[in-house]
Amino acid sequence: MDENTFIELKGITKRFPGVTANDRVDLAVRVGEIHAIVGENGAGKSTLMRTLYGLYQPDSGTISVRGRPVVIESPRKALDLGIGMVHQHFMLIPVFTVAENVILGSEPAAGLGRLRIREADRRVKELSEQYGFALDPSAKVGRLSVGEQQRVEIIKVLYRGAELLILDEPTAVLVPQEVEDLFGNLRRLREQGKTIIFISHKLDEVLEISDRITVLRRGQIVGTVDAAGTTKAQLAEMMVGRPVLLELEHPPVPPGDVRLEARHFTVEEGRRQAVRDVSLTVRSGEIYGIAGVEGNGQTELVEALVGLRPLKSGVLLIDGRDVTHARARAIRLMGVAHIPEDRHRRGLALPMSGWENMILGHHYRQAFAAGAFLDQPSIDAFVADRVRDYDIRVADVAAPVLALSGGNQQKVIVAREFSFAPKILVAAQPTRGLDIGATEFVQRQVLEARSNGMAVLLISAWLEEVLSLSDRIGVMYGGELVAEFRRGEATAYELGLYMTGAKRKEAGATA
Amino acid sequence: MKARLLLLQIAAPVVAILFGMLISSIIILAIGRNPLEVFGIMVRFSLTRTDSLFSILFKSTPLILAGLAVAMSFRVNLFNIGVEGQYYIGAFFAAYVGFTLRGLPPLVHLPLALAAAMIGGMLWGLLPIVLKLRRGAHEVITTIMMNYIASALLLYLIADIFRDPAQAGTPRVRTPDVAGAARIPSLGPFFAQFGLTGSDVQKVNALIIIGIVLAVVLAYALARTRFGYEVRAVAANPLAAEAAGIPNARVQFLVFMLSAGIAGLVGLNDILGFFGYLDIDFPKGLGFLGISIALLAKNHPIGVIPAALLLGFLDRGAQGVQFFARVPKETIVIMQAIIILAIVVAYELMTRYVRVQRKREAQLGTPPGPQAAMQPGSAEAGS
Repeated sequence: MDENTFIELKGITKRFPGVTANDRVDLAVRVGEIHAIVGENGAGKSTLMRTLYGLYQPDSGTISVRGRPVVIESPRKALDLGIGMVHQHFMLIPVFTVAENVILGSEPAAGLGRLRIREADRRVKELSEQYGFALDPSAKVGRLSVGEQQRVEIIKVLYRGAELLILDEPTAVLVPQEVEDLFGNLRRLREQGKTIIFISHKLDEVLEISDRITVLRRGQIVGTVDAAGTTKAQLAEMMVGRPVLLELEHPPVPPGDVRLEARHFTVEEGRRQAVRDVSLTVRSGEIYGIAGVEGNGQTELVEALVGLRPLKSGVLLIDGRDVTHARARAIRLMGVAHIPEDRHRRGLALPMSGWENMILGHHYRQAFAAGAFLDQPSIDAFVADRVRDYDIRVADVAAPVLALSGGNQQKVIVAREFSFAPKILVAAQPTRGLDIGATEFVQRQVLEARSNGMAVLLISAWLEEVLSLSDRIGVMYGGELVAEFRRGEATAYELGLYMTGAKRKEAGATA
Repeated sequence: MKARLLLLQIAAPVVAILFGMLISSIIILAIGRNPLEVFGIMVRFSLTRTDSLFSILFKSTPLILAGLAVAMSFRVNLFNIGVEGQYYIGAFFAAYVGFTLRGLPPLVHLPLALAAAMIGGMLWGLLPIVLKLRRGAHEVITTIMMNYIASALLLYLIADIFRDPAQAGTPRVRTPDVAGAARIPSLGPFFAQFGLTGSDVQKVNALIIIGIVLAVVLAYALARTRFGYEVRAVAANPLAAEAAGIPNARVQFLVFMLSAGIAGLVGLNDILGFFGYLDIDFPKGLGFLGISIALLAKNHPIGVIPAALLLGFLDRGAQGVQFFARVPKETIVIMQAIIILAIVVAYELMTRYVRVQRKREAQLGTPPGPQAAMQPGSAEAGS
């Protein structure tokens, strides 16, 4: 090792009951570099970072900081060593100002515990200017954009004297423009000598921002490569362990009849109009993608479409029939399948077994009824069939689904929703939190359904997914459909402008 | 592995009971008695005497019903604290049907009285559940309030409206006698065939059979019927159930009515099974014991039976200890409470352990997720 190494891990192993999360991991991060750690879900990235930040103790292996062996027993110790972590989920108090949030936990106090808030303001202003963060210390955090809130999180860490910043999936919550801004900030930090560990599974971003990239797979280091001269395909193969098709085939399918139509939807959440005058149609053999930053009315729109939320005004048509006032069961029976945006919230009953979850929503069908009782033999046959066709890796279908991996849980939902020949699919964030393999699987299923004449409404916060799967794309911002494009008409960057409300045009032009 | 988990599930309450005994020992020692001696007397008095055994059965009968009533409401994430009030009203309804109608055959009169009791319980449960589902009023608050109203109303009905005129001039405040045809038959004659006799044997009546059958039927219905499946789904994740087209509110309403209906039967063990009239001093507090029993049973209908028997045993044991060891009865009350607390803690610990075990099993049983689809070998190519 040379004096340029900020932190070095040797042979770090961390086991949890039944799984080795990190297996003899060696990693060296140089001073002043942006070092990306990539890997699929469950590859051990988070465990490794938590070990670095003192949240976990490794079972074996050594850590040295600037050449001196250390034991990082707590986050406080990590901070003393100059290691700070920017969490994926912000830990900010909306009603506090930027400066108040920054000093929270290490407040500068004068006699009698009086806060020296002016000093905090000054310090935050300094940091903000030094790194080009453009933050007003006295602004209330609740009024800031997501990108700005993230900068507050970063300043929090800098304020505590961090030299090495660990950023856990920092771009997950950002639109393309904000990602650009963040990368600008990160480069500025690097110029001023800070070291950054950047965790992500978005390969384009990793290649753009980092100097070096370390790939983890199943707890082990696959390798560390220079970003320059490495391709996306190479990285994906390192991550997954086999060549991956990054572009799915999107064969032309002639669109058929209009299956699903929303006319002038207005939906309320509390007293707020979460969806305002949204109209859209989805045809058979077509994928209509909705792009947008989360929380812009997508959730409410989906719930209104599948009968889980009443419309304030507007009309819902399925196959030309007015079903505005129909409830979820009636809508399902008309052939509407729904992959909910949050599988743990709306998709699965986690304490219930695999087979029970696989018939959820089908359990009242004649196929599974034996009088008042459930027809167990036909259910068992159905479940065995689904498990085989969808390659669901489950040891025992009678065990609770909470024991399954996220990918397998999603497969349970996909297998269930694709059963009984649905004609319309409403898929919200269908690949969220899935690794490359499972993502590919789900996207393939959606494309295949399209080829078979299903009408698909795809809602995704992940722009690449919307762009690669959709025949038409609508952008939601502030509860409205602010733009609509045909496939290939718009780039990610352009969509980003509409997603942040910087631009708008009348929707409905492509139908 | 499965057998081990099952064993654990059985071991948890046993460990909890032992823990409860340990803490109680400290209390018994503190009042200067020998815990082993006290426990010995308790067990011997409760379990080696015919009268004690039948007394336990008699005491457990309403506890089974109260436990079932509370457990059912818990199964749909509702807290029916109102079992207490619901059984007061149910008891009055049954008594009213019992003492006003005359000349009916038992096959008609008794079912009528039972139905009246259930309807009374349901009526008393109606307002809280409607307020809950329509207006979001918390059922804990409303059912507690309904308990107070039931208590006062019952007093008024017994003392002022339906007081047995034959008792005028005596301190007895009670309703007229229930017709013989409306009384729940004693199981005494049945046990007499086996040479088991005595007043405590006579007290045990057919309601205990109704309670046990009800527990079995409920357990089976929950596990096997479509409605039972919906109930479990609503309990496990109401949002997912709703998305699957299950009408949450309707399921909750029906199960709460079932709970209140069962609650209506709780008082009948004494009213129709023993006294034959509704006395102002009839046993109270059984609804609250039902909460403890549901907790001990983890809301499983079958589990309610041993839980009720345990409480019956502790209650009988308390009498013995008080009488023979001259330890205050309150010591046993403390022990009951400690055992219940200990069981709750033991369950929580066990649930966590089982969850970890299940996760581990799932991970060992199958390679995690889609990674299994890869061909090994090509794996190291990238590095």
